[in-house]
Amino acid sequence: MREIAGVAGAAALSPQLFAVTAAAPSAGFKLLDVSGTAGLHFQHNSGAYGGKLLPETLGSGCAFLDYDADGWQDILLVNSMDWPGHKKQRSTLQLYRNNRDGTFTDVTRRAGLDIEMYGMGVAVGDYNNDGFPDILITCVGQNRLFRNTGKGTFVDATQASGLGNRLGFSTSALWFDYDRDGKLDLFVCNYVKWSPEHDVVCSLDGKHKSYCTPEAYRGQTCWLFHNRGNGTFEDVTANSGIFDSSSKALGVSLLDYDQDGWPDLLVANDTQPNKLYRNLHNGKFRDVAVDAGLAFSTEGKARAGMGVDTADFDNSGKTGIAITNFDNEMIGLYRALPRGGYEDVAIPSGVGMPSKGTLGFGCAFLDADLDGLMDLIVTNGHIDDTVRNIRGNVGYAQPPQLFLNSAAGNGKHLFRDVATDIGDGFRQPKVGRGLAFGDFDRDGDLDILITTNNGPAYLYRNDQLAGNKSIRFRLTGTQSNRDAIGASVRIEHDGITQTRVVKGGSGYLSQSELPVTFGIGKRDKIDRAVIHWPNGRTEEFKSLATGRAYDCVEGKGIV
Amino acid sequence: MQPAPLRHRSPTAGLLLGLILTLAAVVAYSYYITTQIRGLRRFQSELADRNRKDSLQLLRIQNDLNSMALAMRDMLDRDEPYPLAAWSAQFQRLHGDLDDALRREEQLAVAQSSPEQREYLRSSLTQFWDATERTFALARSGKEDEARGEIRLSLQARLAALNTAVSRLLVQNNESEEQAAAHVGEIYARVQHQVYVFLSATLAAILLTSLYVIRSNRQLFAQLATLSEQRSELAQKLIAMQESVLLHVSRELHDEFGQILTAMGAMLSRAGNHAPEGSTLRADLREVTEIAQSTLNNVRSLSQALHPVMLDEAGLVPTIEWYLPTVERQAGIKLSYGKSGSPFPVENNAAVHIYRILQEALNNVIRHAGVREAWVRLQFLPEALQLEVEDHGTGFQSTPGKQGIGLVAMRERAELVGGSILFQKTIEGGTRVRLVVPKNALLGNTVSEQQREPHV
Repeated sequence: MREIAGVAGAAALSPQLFAVTAAAPSAGFKLLDVSGTAGLHFQHNSGAYGGKLLPETLGSGCAFLDYDADGWQDILLVNSMDWPGHKKQRSTLQLYRNNRDGTFTDVTRRAGLDIEMYGMGVAVGDYNNDGFPDILITCVGQNRLFRNTGKGTFVDATQASGLGNRLGFSTSALWFDYDRDGKLDLFVCNYVKWSPEHDVVCSLDGKHKSYCTPEAYRGQTCWLFHNRGNGTFEDVTANSGIFDSSSKALGVSLLDYDQDGWPDLLVANDTQPNKLYRNLHNGKFRDVAVDAGLAFSTEGKARAGMGVDTADFDNSGKTGIAITNFDNEMIGLYRALPRGGYEDVAIPSGVGMPSKGTLGFGCAFLDADLDGLMDLIVTNGHIDDTVRNIRGNVGYAQPPQLFLNSAAGNGKHLFRDVATDIGDGFRQPKVGRGLAFGDFDRDGDLDILITTNNGPAYLYRNDQLAGNKSIRFRLTGTQSNRDAIGASVRIEHDGITQTRVVKGGSGYLSQSELPVTFGIGKRDKIDRAVIHWPNGRTEEFKSLATGRAYDCVEGKGIV
Repeated sequence: MQPAPLRHRSPTAGLLLGLILTLAAVVAYSYYITTQIRGLRRFQSELADRNRKDSLQLLRIQNDLNSMALAMRDMLDRDEPYPLAAWSAQFQRLHGDLDDALRREEQLAVAQSSPEQREYLRSSLTQFWDATERTFALARSGKEDEARGEIRLSLQARLAALNTAVSRLLVQNNESEEQAAAHVGEIYARVQHQVYVFLSATLAAILLTSLYVIRSNRQLFAQLATLSEQRSELAQKLIAMQESVLLHVSRELHDEFGQILTAMGAMLSRAGNHAPEGSTLRADLREVTEIAQSTLNNVRSLSQALHPVMLDEAGLVPTIEWYLPTVERQAGIKLSYGKSGSPFPVENNAAVHIYRILQEALNNVIRHAGVREAWVRLQFLPEALQLEVEDHGTGFQSTPGKQGIGLVAMRERAELVGGSILFQKTIEGGTRVRLVVPKNALLGNTVSEQQREPHV
């Protein structure tokens, strides 16, 4: 057994922190903006020059990854670039190595990632199972696959892997092992058929060009690539049933909605019905979103889905769903029904009305206050910087939201936006886009990374004030894919069952860390932990101490 | 003659009944109107909701048809690197979604489409899906060009027909929405009319109740006036009778007993003169003579007290001026008397009442004020006579409904002479009784105050 993280809340025993705790806000934690002190000096370049080209307003994503496998979460920030003919500056993605002291070092050039591309999103997965995470950057144009050499550098494997010669307007992507063969396959969302030459002119005020809504463009199918296991991929989009030329996908998340042990996919579409691709176990998928009640809003309208995340937020053992939408459409918060399917509980749960006036992008379920209930964090920001001229009550920059989850009895949960209580920096309006979480300082709680459109990236350190603890698991597959993406971990304590799933890409254009974190309040131990590995194997551990992290290797238990 | 007993019927019961009836009507009608409006709102909301949902389903159907049109365009454009059969799953999804939307729309449809319309839609869809199957069968067998031909010639045309049928349903839905809105408008107008009727009825009830209240009030006031008049009449009769008795007794005392005693005195005096000087008889007769004289004096005083004959003979002012020193002497109180203005004649009857009021006022001062000084002012004003009796004592304690008989009598006497009386608090804390009698009420066939000869 190797401890890879500190004890969340252990410091709360010190007199100084106790004093802070006494005056703490009701949220029980704070998010402190440490972007500057941590050394993150990133500026997203959308390439906007006034032409109002559609991709400019959508980027970009971010990721927590441990690219050097040292047990400390590093940071990757996706960047776009100037448009051809309007070249003013050079901009690339940035990879920051964790210095293990709360600061980061920009290692982009050293890692061989100092390459210009019109990047949108990122998905991190060890597709060749060599123990080092590889990176897919989704782009406007050609997506890029960077293979991790294990020596602190990456090589561009796009062509060699068979992902080359394929132009698109890709957005979110995720790695998952849909055929459970132990090798990570790749799912890529595409937005619309767009190129600078075929850009459509739209206007909000009838005078000036503005960004078009997706109705103006033809959809583009998502792509599914099967990992052959030899470093190459096979396009199985058509044969798998994923092909859909009407799709306008922005977000994707992994889930096992029917709890059959096979990974399914939920795709958030902009102005098109959302898709719930059920895994048929034979390499094919069937869209069952309409039957599941996820395709449309409760009014039967296809909303403007942006980001999506999935988690067991009510500790029911079933996967819930959050989908961010356009302003005036509110977030869709779906709870699994006992008889199957989902119901949108956004309004009764308290998420609906506070999100009606915001345009949400990134979203993620995480237990921010480590109380054992997953909270919901959302980044907001409009797509048009002139929106306030047209609609006075809607701003371009919008504050992010953090909905704190509390059990309301009868299996129902209430969410309360505590963004204004957890730190001045966090609540500042931003043109938010990407969102990822990870424990970069290894204190056991989850820190937040937010990207903004044509703006800086923000790193918020989570400081627990109420003395709550966590228990973390980092999984390594042997028979299953090495990242254990698709594995679920279930813990039991005091009659409560919590579940987390290892996900390779989620939310909006982004990827959170692979280790899973459970908040357990002030308990010193849990009764049981059960790991369901992606290939079907189950392992169980009893009476684990909390306030620490465990390395679990498939077939070998806790090492 | 005994006055007829007043029929004293209280209007309270009638008023209460009217109030209860009005309130009951208001409550009943409010409940009725509230129920009507709530039902109407529910109907409107349900109808609007159903229409909206139906329109959404129709739009969903249209969206599916448009998606299929776009998919067909993509299939013909050849700009995807995938074979035509790849679109099969997309069409299957749209097929499922379309079936679901059509089923829901049929349940929600407010505008009932004709069976022919539904049948046409169903058969068009069946033909469309058959044609789609044929197209994908050709594509799967490698005959992509033939499949594209099928799309151009058959599928696109059938899709256009479907689109037209759905558009017609949307139009019908809109028309039905308009009809529903008109129906709701009619109901609202009816409710409005009923509200007006109700308001008119309520106003009429309030008007009738008000008239009833006014009538009852009038009757009450009339009864009160009669009672007051009767009471006043009775009091006046009592006072008149009292004065008459007192006058009679006074005269009897003065005239009869006075004359007898005077005669007795004279006779005794003469008898005494006949008795021998220094005899016991002479001394006894002198003593009896003195007793008779003393009794005569007492009888005269009593006669004056019961009814000062002086009033009849000398008038009000001399009587007052004779009376005040008498009171001062008898009660040991200092009375400051002031007279102003040009005296005018005061009719005898009125003078008695004014004199009695003065008597009662001074009695009150002596008995209740607790002072040894008082002021009496008699003013002959151009239009009235004003008499004031003022003290600076403990003050007049007026208890509503518990006025003494003296105060009542003073009021009655004031009314009898057509004047008014006021009981006031003075700044110093005492009481001022002010009697004001209009001049014309005092004039009678009497000699003026100046013309009267003083009576001794």
